[in-house]
Amino acid sequence: MTMKAFEYASPSTLDLALKALAAPSSEALSGGTDLLCRMKDDVAAPERLVYLKDVKDLAGVKGSAAEGVTIGAGTLLASVVASEAVKASYPALWQTTLEVGTPQIRNMATVGGNLLQRPRCWYFRNGFGLLAMQEGKSLVRLGDNRYHSIFMTDGDALFTSPSSLAVPLIALGATATIVGPNGERTLPVEDLYRAPRTDKQRELTIEPGEILTKVTIPPAKGKNASYEIRAKQSHDWPIVLASVNLTLEGETVSAAKIMLYGVAPIPWRSAAAEQALIGKKLSVETAEDAGKAAVKNAQPLSMNQFKVSLTTTAVKRALLTAGGMKYWEA
Amino acid sequence: MADLDTKPRPGASRRDFLRGSGLAAASAVISGPARAALDEAAAEAREAQDAVPVLSGQVKITLKVNGQERHTTVEPRSTLLDTLRHRLDVTGPKRVCDRGSCGACTTLVDGAPVYSCTTLAVSCQGKTIETLESFDTGPEGVPHAFHQNDGLMCGYCTPGFVTACKALLDRNPHPTLEEVKQGLNGNICRCGTYVGVLKAALAAAKSMKGA
Ligand SMILES: Cc1cc2nc3c(=O)[nH]c(=O)nc-3n(C[C@H](O)[C@H](O)[C@H](O)COP(=O)(O)OP(=O)(O)OC[C@H]3O[C@@H](n4cnc5c(N)ncnc54)[C@H](O)[C@@H]3O)c2cc1C
Ligand code: FES
Ligand code: FES
Repeated sequence: MTMKAFEYASPSTLDLALKALAAPSSEALSGGTDLLCRMKDDVAAPERLVYLKDVKDLAGVKGSAAEGVTIGAGTLLASVVASEAVKASYPALWQTTLEVGTPQIRNMATVGGNLLQRPRCWYFRNGFGLLAMQEGKSLVRLGDNRYHSIFMTDGDALFTSPSSLAVPLIALGATATIVGPNGERTLPVEDLYRAPRTDKQRELTIEPGEILTKVTIPPAKGKNASYEIRAKQSHDWPIVLASVNLTLEGETVSAAKIMLYGVAPIPWRSAAAEQALIGKKLSVETAEDAGKAAVKNAQPLSMNQFKVSLTTTAVKRALLTAGGMKYWEA
Repeated sequence: MADLDTKPRPGASRRDFLRGSGLAAASAVISGPARAALDEAAAEAREAQDAVPVLSGQVKITLKVNGQERHTTVEPRSTLLDTLRHRLDVTGPKRVCDRGSCGACTTLVDGAPVYSCTTLAVSCQGKTIETLESFDTGPEGVPHAFHQNDGLMCGYCTPGFVTACKALLDRNPHPTLEEVKQGLNGNICRCGTYVGVLKAALAAAKSMKGA
């Protein structure tokens, strides 16, 4: 479908971008790989697009493993993959970014757009809203829910959070910086997301008129890794992805952050998997136990039981990868 | 296509009216309802309009396509793909999914392969745009290698593959088979002629080396 007509501004500074975004019904446009497709499907119809890629200050990777790394929201995914600092010290993020979409998508899409892309739930993308309720009934529960959540399913939001990058970034303890008409604020990346309670509420906490400017990852300590399971090698989102960030004392795991993708309407922190691991030596057995702990309270829908075992496997393999073990030999 | 391109958006007339009738009329209309926030936003928007040009309706643009400066008129919503095909008669890039999910429209913007169906034409001004029309069709070129290695069946995906392949070889002239697979995995062939495509890519790398 042809997009509805809109106005277009391409400011060159953040200040001008904020001003241009202050007009009603304005949306930021970065790579366009999410927004333009939603507009073609008539799920979004902003009256003004403010193109952010000409704001050069928004792009770039700075810093090092020792001092932490800052990634501008306008940085292309291809540039994240090209960053030696990210590759060497934050393999959880590097690996996940490398696997997003396709080479063309990574040449277009930005880190900010990736974090703020809207859910891929097919009910949402077909205009039924985030909760997809009709006459008090959940279309997701009644219909095809194979790609929907297995956690938080006693609520009404059953879609899964779409951003691959959010999961390793949260595991690594990254913060996001947002500027708006009232100034700047910095928040943990996980606070960008929420499970909406009504169809009016968005799953993102960023307000209209605000711009995500950067994410900051603290200095790299310990071991981190991601493992994702997909139906296809490219052209698709992961079905399940696990990112882990471990602090080791000797061989014992003293702290762990384990994040999951594809299982809940928000990036899902598995405290159960973390608890199963902390205080133990990382091994095939403890990795497997953590994987099983991760899904102990899962409540799959009618068609996505398969995600439960995929989640166990993803957690186990992410942990073994972080520990430098070859999961395929385990 | 042309009629769709120029179809006005419902409600656009109100906005056009605001702009056309000047600031005084605009503020009278907006400040009528007691909505301070909206008012402030509108004021800021007007300010921004002074500083940042806001394009709407028919926009004159210049695109550098295959080494030539091309002038045309588009709307902000026109994609690079539709502009190339319908305005500039550059029909190499194909429109298949129109959703950034198949690769048929692959075009080089500043040397990088992107999906032109999901790129706005207005955002490409000042950039170098290359389509396969500009590629070497001689014995050392990528198109020839596709021809020689049965890299196509119906041929609809071929321009996208040829373009992605050229971009890959520009960056990495000696790719391994694995690297070719990764470089081309943003393109889909519905006929399934992948074996020929991979052979073609490796053959093109070889002939470009002059081996
Ligand atoms: C075939 C295909 C496969 C894909 N596979 C994956 C995958 O495996 N994993 C994955 O995570 N994603 C995947 N994606 C989605 C893709 O990664 C996202 O569409 C992309 O990252 C969005 O970035 P963008 O710059 O193009 O954002 P845009 O489309 O420009 O914007 C997306 C949203 O973010 C807002 N926005 C953008 N930048 C800012 C900013 N700086 N401040 C405030 N708001 C902003 C926009 O207003 C818009 O609402 C895939 C997409 C396709 C088409
Ligand atoms: S037509 Fe652009 S990716 Fe399919
Ligand atoms: S040759 Fe027919 S789609 Fe590829």
